[in-house]
Amino acid sequence: MNTAYNFAFFDEGSKREIRRATLKAIAIPGYQVPFASREMPIGRGWGTGGLQLTLSLIGKTDVLKVIDQGSDESVNAVNIKKLVRDTTGVEITELTREATLIQSRHRIPEVPLNKDQILILQVPIPEPLRFYEPQESVTKKHHAEKEYSGAWLMLFEQIIKYGSMTTGADHPVMVHDRYVMAPSPIPRFDNPKMNHSEALILLGAGREKKVYAIPPYTKVVSLDFHDYPFEPETFQDKQCRLCGSTGVFFDELVDETTGGTVYQCNDTSYCIETLNSVEALGGVK
Amino acid sequence: MKLDVVHDLQSVYRKVVNATSRPGMISNLSDEALSVENIPVQCAASIWVLALTLLDQEVTFKVYSAQAEKASRAINQLTYAKPVEINEADFIFVLSDAEEGSLEEAIELGKHGTLMNPHNSATIIVEAENVNDGVELLLSGPGIQTSTSVNVCLTGDWIASRNQKNREYPLGIDLMIIDKEHQLLSLPRTTQIIENRVVV
Repeated sequence: MNTAYNFAFFDEGSKREIRRATLKAIAIPGYQVPFASREMPIGRGWGTGGLQLTLSLIGKTDVLKVIDQGSDESVNAVNIKKLVRDTTGVEITELTREATLIQSRHRIPEVPLNKDQILILQVPIPEPLRFYEPQESVTKKHHAEKEYSGAWLMLFEQIIKYGSMTTGADHPVMVHDRYVMAPSPIPRFDNPKMNHSEALILLGAGREKKVYAIPPYTKVVSLDFHDYPFEPETFQDKQCRLCGSTGVFFDELVDETTGGTVYQCNDTSYCIETLNSVEALGGVK
Repeated sequence: MKLDVVHDLQSVYRKVVNATSRPGMISNLSDEALSVENIPVQCAASIWVLALTLLDQEVTFKVYSAQAEKASRAINQLTYAKPVEINEADFIFVLSDAEEGSLEEAIELGKHGTLMNPHNSATIIVEAENVNDGVELLLSGPGIQTSTSVNVCLTGDWIASRNQKNREYPLGIDLMIIDKEHQLLSLPRTTQIIENRVVV
């Protein structure tokens, strides 16, 4: 642990400011609370929002897991883990169920979260209405008036053009029947996990200087139409080429020797855990 | 033992986060509260711990108490937060020795934000006799699976005032109730309260 820095990198004033914003965010689910967003030793847009939330929350007894698009070992995840560990000395884990704080970019882990965990999502663009309205003052007014016809129109246009809703990730959701919210670029597959989640979910956008939250057991509904219901990605009849799991979110890869398409768990720690348990049972040699 | 402003306040914050994200779940702040030395006015030490966790020169506050002036000065000296009139305060403290009706007044006059900026609203921190033994309240809303009950010993008609104040969601005030045993009950604006009156 590097003692030249404050515990958890920030000075106490910075933490307090983030903490106050976070508490208001929890009190108003889905509403984007502006915050100061301090300079960080990583670039804005590279997870600074999530990192600031993590640093404001973390204590000596926490166990941290950081993932980047399902992977515990990608550069972004590794560097964030290093920074937090160097300034706090907390234990780092890859096992989802061992972690008390999980910072993630673009995925919600496969292992269901429990009430003692907090999921922190990094958000590049927190404003779900930004796609069709560039002005912050106008989108704020839309939120104030619950004027979300544009959000539905955006999906409607996709249906007209392509026959289905084409949001690959970041499919907008309605939180607690009040705010339309960007769930961060998680795949549609993960959207239902936000509804009545057991764990508190915090979302932080460092570049855009916003934090927002979904408390546990909060109604989160993905926007859709009666005749075009929301559908998560399906991986029916697909199986992980490494661990044999089904019904999880897969990466689609090309096997270079055969040229065929193969599937592999996107959540690496889930895949390794499954592999290990299969091996312990004597399944794979 | 002296209060550690880094680690103790972090653990207070996490307990406040837990209590606020799961209304009805009571967090105990006694470990941290008991490390506070020299409380300037007669009130639960956990009130000071909360003030230290949440207040600084960037926010404003108001105190309701028989020794309001003394308490205000102490909070100002401790945190550099600025004492202001009730309708401007970010944080409102209602101590147990406040006049009857103070909590209702705080709820009624505290700022509830605007539709553009609902987060610019007051957080009211109330000192209660007990949050484990009193009138049974049935809570529901975000953070609560179906419904949960708490027993709060707090006099006055504050529930009606709160319902009236929070009628136009997302506008509203957020309440934190702390008792003499340093137990914290947080009631954000989304929590619906039904008073469970026993009919004899």
